[in-house]
Amino acid sequence: MQTHFTLKQLQDPRIAEADGIIQTCQHFGFCTATCPTYTLLGDENDAPRGRIDLTRAMLEQGGAPDAKTVGHIDRCLSCLACMTTCAVRVDYMHLVDRARVHIEKHFRRPLPDRLLRALLARVLPYPERFRAALLGARLARPFARLLPGRLSNLLAMGAAKPASAEHDIVTGIHLSQGPRRHRVALLAGCAQRVLAPQVNAATVRLLTRHGCDVVVARDTACCGALTLHMGREEEAQEAARRNVDAWMRQVEAGGLDAIIVNASGCGTAVKDYGHLLRYDPAYAARAARVAALALDISEFMMRVDPMPPAVPRRIAVAYHDACSLRNTQRVTTQPRHLLASAGFVVRDVPEAQFCCGSAGTYNLLQPDIAGQLGQRKAAHVESTQASVLAVGNVGCMVQIGRHTGLPVVHTVELLDWATGGPLPGALEGRALPELPPEQPAAAAAFW
Amino acid sequence: MNIEAFFSDVQNELGAQAVDRGQDTCLRYGETTLPAFDRRPAGVLYPASADEVKAIVRAANRHEVPLWPISTGNNIGLGSRAPVREQQVVVDLGRRMNRILEVNQELGYAVVEPGVTFQALQDELARLGDKLMLSPTSGPPLGGVLGNALDKGGGYGPYFDHFGMLCGMEIVLGNGELIRTGDGSLEADTRINWHVSKYSFGPVLDGLFAQSNFGIVTRVAVWLMPRPPVIQTFHFSFAQDSDFAAIVDLIRPLKMSNFVPTLFRLCNDIYAIGSEVPSPDYAASGGKRAINTEARRALQARHGLGAWQLSGAFYGPSPQAVAPMIERVKAHFGQILGARYIAHDDALNMPPLRAGIDAMSGRTTQAELGLLQWRPGGGNSWFLPGTPMQGKTAAELDTLARGIYEKHGMDFMVMHVASARFARGLHVMVWNRNDADENRRADECYIELAREFAGRGVSVGRAPTDYQDLHMELLSPEFRQACEGIKKALDPKGIIAPGKYGIGA
Repeated sequence: MQTHFTLKQLQDPRIAEADGIIQTCQHFGFCTATCPTYTLLGDENDAPRGRIDLTRAMLEQGGAPDAKTVGHIDRCLSCLACMTTCAVRVDYMHLVDRARVHIEKHFRRPLPDRLLRALLARVLPYPERFRAALLGARLARPFARLLPGRLSNLLAMGAAKPASAEHDIVTGIHLSQGPRRHRVALLAGCAQRVLAPQVNAATVRLLTRHGCDVVVARDTACCGALTLHMGREEEAQEAARRNVDAWMRQVEAGGLDAIIVNASGCGTAVKDYGHLLRYDPAYAARAARVAALALDISEFMMRVDPMPPAVPRRIAVAYHDACSLRNTQRVTTQPRHLLASAGFVVRDVPEAQFCCGSAGTYNLLQPDIAGQLGQRKAAHVESTQASVLAVGNVGCMVQIGRHTGLPVVHTVELLDWATGGPLPGALEGRALPELPPEQPAAAAAFW
Repeated sequence: MNIEAFFSDVQNELGAQAVDRGQDTCLRYGETTLPAFDRRPAGVLYPASADEVKAIVRAANRHEVPLWPISTGNNIGLGSRAPVREQQVVVDLGRRMNRILEVNQELGYAVVEPGVTFQALQDELARLGDKLMLSPTSGPPLGGVLGNALDKGGGYGPYFDHFGMLCGMEIVLGNGELIRTGDGSLEADTRINWHVSKYSFGPVLDGLFAQSNFGIVTRVAVWLMPRPPVIQTFHFSFAQDSDFAAIVDLIRPLKMSNFVPTLFRLCNDIYAIGSEVPSPDYAASGGKRAINTEARRALQARHGLGAWQLSGAFYGPSPQAVAPMIERVKAHFGQILGARYIAHDDALNMPPLRAGIDAMSGRTTQAELGLLQWRPGGGNSWFLPGTPMQGKTAAELDTLARGIYEKHGMDFMVMHVASARFARGLHVMVWNRNDADENRRADECYIELAREFAGRGVSVGRAPTDYQDLHMELLSPEFRQACEGIKKALDPKGIIAPGKYGIGA
């Protein structure tokens, strides 16, 4: 796609980067077919190709964008399915983030929008505030229908019972259960600590059982993804700097073999710290080093020779690919391999390229589209006739869990259970039928 | 032609959601990657059923509005979604007619609407236990099963002949009548042989709807193969361009005897490696000349490949059962000096070989889409002739094509997909469409290829929309008149894609 930025505009390295990205787009259109919003809405401007064109026009023009452009970019999930099918590998991820930053700086949203976004940015990344907000939302739920649109949807989150602080992960070092073979850090996260603290607990048990000292640094913050995707780049950078400082202290103190992330949306953000802080001379190199150490829990487990299951359970487990794992980090085989090695029968969910509608704060900001996507995903999950759904991202767990009666757990909860940990809470009281042993292939058909 | 009355009728009958005349929509549906300018449609329609297709076709007849039906519109390099003539109305069957109507696991077929993608069918088969496998192309996973088959697309396994694997169609003819082929046309409550027998009473009409514009196919059955427990691919690289004739001659007996159940993918260096990296030579050449030999050799060395790469696969109950067959193939191609065997497990870690592994395993693949970034600027077309499986003849055609590419400053990028008697040659052209000179040379290159091959008795298996008139003109007047006669019989007002495949222009 040809661009017409002025030389003065191109002196800004951020605009120069956007220019380079836009120019790589050749309008082949492979992205449209895989884009959830294009599929649902059928509008060319609700597909990556259209959004790239709109972003080009917006950045070239500078200043305040029109509401139509903002609407189309707001509707992007950043699921990045488009990047998996793009023949010329357009870096849409960084371009749409740049578009959001521009919108945040130059577009004055209606007051309710501004309030909602400010609320989300000031609450979700902080576990104590989020916990308090969820408790408040539970109390206010009876009044939800009195509130307009998205605010009532926000209160619907009160259905999620926040975990009390006593279940939160303990900061410090969790020692290996046997001889130490690895020293790793774990990103404790923010929203996950409130919505699903059992994920961190299972991760720590799994890692320590496999010879890891697990450092949960006291002074880490939210990864920054939530605010970055709302265009609040500086807040995201500030969060990233805190985390880089915290982990680099651990690197310098005792060394780290990896920084483990068990919420894949956060994993994508941490793996991209080198890019987020590339223009900060004090942090660029250290951020790149932290990013290089970041691994999804399933990537790390593949490196440590996971122990065989204590009691193999041939339970049918549907595995949902979180977009951040599948499309951005390209982690698809590892969770399936780990679950299968742990004895479970893994079933793929049809239409895996489609987002479930979680997408950070998307299900709060775009509840209608998110609801459609959630229902569509839940129907596909249930079509597998599995007993359990395994997911590698807390956002997907909450989103799909709202639309299905199937128990939803994090992959690590199953791996922890298989290797000696407790039954995941979501599976308590559930029927978990075991499948008969697999027939030898040759006997199953002519082959 | 009364276009306003047409859209009004369609909107009244199908509802507003079935009609889009937006400027952005028309602009993007009109885009192609071909040398000619983009061709905007007058609007886009989204029917949800065969009855709605019928309503559209009847309205088009009433108002004499030309239609351009597409399935999923992923035919990149052959025309994308754009109509062959400006202002035709696109009938996009992909958006709402995308249901898998039936999967018969016992008899091995699926009944699909035009919008069903390879990915969707693969997902559904997996959900049903992965007992059957589809025959994907190595193109986009979201390409359409039906559209690919009707355009004579192909796969790589034993069910590679996608049109040949269709059985039983439903078609809305250009005159607005709906017909079903084979036993589908019986007035019966059940039609148990519709999707298992191609040769019921009467003429085999199905063939009329491959690469034609006589009707809109609204459902087909596609036959599917049982998924084998073990799929082992095998690969070879060959050092010299001149090894080509010998490779072809060695493939032929393996396919004539059906010893190897898959087709063979025989890719030159640029085709295989081009999916991974852009041309390292383009910055220096500015696209004025073809990549030089030194740059090709460097690419081959960097990727551990040769001038040619060959891939095939065996299916069997166990690795042990397949191993002796692979040993025989190793010895067979080992007759060529410099042949290097690459085992399945090693090939898994070699990205240029990935597309072949995926496709022969009945899995969709993204691995080959990267070919389109070989040169910048988004130009892409495919020249798709073929050759008899005789090394000498194949090598002569290969030399001819290579020379024409070089003459026009294009990089020679080819994959021969070889069966027993014939190999289709997928000649890819990638160029900078923003460079007027390069764009002109790409156009001239294609035309010269088409004429020179035709002069040697070779037409193409498929063609970009820009060149369909040309290819039709190269056929005999009698054949063309026969096509026009059928067109007049089934679509008397010429409303289905006039000009497509050079018919009804």
